[in-house]
Amino acid sequence: MEIKNNKNIHSIYAENQLTIGLPNAMLYKRYETLWENFFMALGANIIVSEPTNKEIIHSGTEAAIDETCLSAKIYLGHVHSLIRKCDYILVPRISNWALNRHMCSRFKSQYDLVCNIFRGSGQKFISYDLDEARNLTEEKAFLNMGLELGFPKKLIKEAYKKAKKQETADWKYRLKSQEQLYKSEGLKVIIAAHSYVIEDEYFGKPVTDYLKELDVIPLRADITDRKEALKQSLKISKTLVWEFNREILGSLHMHREHVDGIILISAFPCGPDSMVNDIIARKFSELPVLNLVLDSQSGTAGMETRLESFVDILKFKKGIL
Amino acid sequence: MQDAYLGIDIGSISTKGVIIDNNNRILASTYIWTEGDPMGAVKKLLRILQEQLDEDNYQVVASGTTGSARKLIGSMISATIVKNEITAHAVGTTTLYPDVRTILEIGGQDSKIILVENGIAVDYAMNTLCAAGTGAFLSSQSKRLGVEVEEFGQIALKSEHPTQIAARCTVFAESDLVHKIQMGHTKKDIIAGLCHAVANNYLNNVGKGKKIISPIVFQGGVSKNVGVVAAFKEALGCDIIVDENGHLMGALGIAILAGRSANHKLFDFSVEDMTFKTREINCGQCPNNCEIICIYRDGQLIDSWGNRCDKGSLRS
Repeated sequence: MEIKNNKNIHSIYAENQLTIGLPNAMLYKRYETLWENFFMALGANIIVSEPTNKEIIHSGTEAAIDETCLSAKIYLGHVHSLIRKCDYILVPRISNWALNRHMCSRFKSQYDLVCNIFRGSGQKFISYDLDEARNLTEEKAFLNMGLELGFPKKLIKEAYKKAKKQETADWKYRLKSQEQLYKSEGLKVIIAAHSYVIEDEYFGKPVTDYLKELDVIPLRADITDRKEALKQSLKISKTLVWEFNREILGSLHMHREHVDGIILISAFPCGPDSMVNDIIARKFSELPVLNLVLDSQSGTAGMETRLESFVDILKFKKGIL
Repeated sequence: MQDAYLGIDIGSISTKGVIIDNNNRILASTYIWTEGDPMGAVKKLLRILQEQLDEDNYQVVASGTTGSARKLIGSMISATIVKNEITAHAVGTTTLYPDVRTILEIGGQDSKIILVENGIAVDYAMNTLCAAGTGAFLSSQSKRLGVEVEEFGQIALKSEHPTQIAARCTVFAESDLVHKIQMGHTKKDIIAGLCHAVANNYLNNVGKGKKIISPIVFQGGVSKNVGVVAAFKEALGCDIIVDENGHLMGALGIAILAGRSANHKLFDFSVEDMTFKTREINCGQCPNNCEIICIYRDGQLIDSWGNRCDKGSLRS
């Protein structure tokens, strides 16, 4: 468990310092910088759950209903590990950025679900509602959350601005290093997966690690110019509404000429992915596509067999095997 | 003395081995059941291969392993190359059938399709998480019907009205099967229905979205089932090649790859007489509690795996 103690002694809230728990799963992978900087600027302490491990998966699976996706189960495990270790656990309720820019319903329901599942624990949860179709922008949502926690309006606004600035700068840097990779020499495979799948220490990361062992450069479709990707995604599908899948789809289209193959990684059972992966297989037929579905099996043999043979085929095609 | 190459394909159900010469000619080959003991099976396999090999004129200078126990056996026999079964099958089949365009394969626990262009594999797909429609599915259904799985094919060919069976999922297929039996469908129609279900399930699942072009080679254990072969012919509307030695393709492929690779080392048949043991230990140094497998040759640790991080690494 990583505890980030806030040494910001100028904060007038230092005496009654709050500690906010951040589950190290799902949206944390996307909003890490924004969330941490925001709460730090408010003078709060932060506690982040440990990278996913077997124990977390086990407790998450126990807490979840059977039909939910692996990532949502893991998320509950992370929440479980933070219970009674902080004042509030952040569980956002993110719905949409516009009518055709939606989140999967798992995210819309996450706060209510978590509150209900852990209702007897005595733990308090905090959320923010992002629903731009109903005019609830991120800035407004953060303001509401800050007020609920008892901070003054001015401080919240400053904290959000500061955090947003840091987030933009961080993203720019990540984007730049990712774009550099496309220019490097070698076998390049683009991975189409949600950040919370590919960055998960237990599930997604072994895939990228193994690809590197096979001398392949793994690229990430989700690290891309998001605005441009959303625009480009319309060239592949005009009706798709899931924001993250649209980013990935557009990014694949933007980079299709610069990669040797596509690897799709989904957490079982992912509704949006099951549909979008099929679109990808059909619309990117000029590239070899590997579809990896990850479940809570602990064996890596199936994954290694599939990755190794996929890479072999790419090498056959290039005449280097 | 001429060079020869050894290839072993250790599957969940059967273990296959070949020794080939420089021209990919098979000098020795055999096929035995794994029976849940891959190391024991390989010892037996090596004894049979050694008997067949003309050791006065040939020496094995490279060895390879493939199949689901490739890592374990690779370590055990100090193989010079360890490769996945898809690559091995593609190499083996395209060597014997240079014109092949599509390779269908259904084994004991998984199924694959490999697409070939100009003799090289260009695309493939493999079943995802479940083993519906594979050999394991057929054998479990055969038990329920009280028929040997080896007889399935011949019985299926006698049917004129194959029963429709949902084969998307083994669990559903089984309840569908029971229902059809109780409704009064005959055994031969149900068996033919199962064969059709395997072929259709494969084409809708693994073969989905893939262009299946003839010549088509069908291999893996299930290819021995003439009922499934007939179902594929009907569904695809063209002829299907089933090689009598189809089960050896993986072993052949890995032997060829072993020969091609620069890493050569004289193979020592004396592994037949050594004792190998595996032991599973739980690391316990972090919440992952990885299951680490250790392999011992004559009591000495030679390899280990299963650890997710360096904390659990054991060295010989």
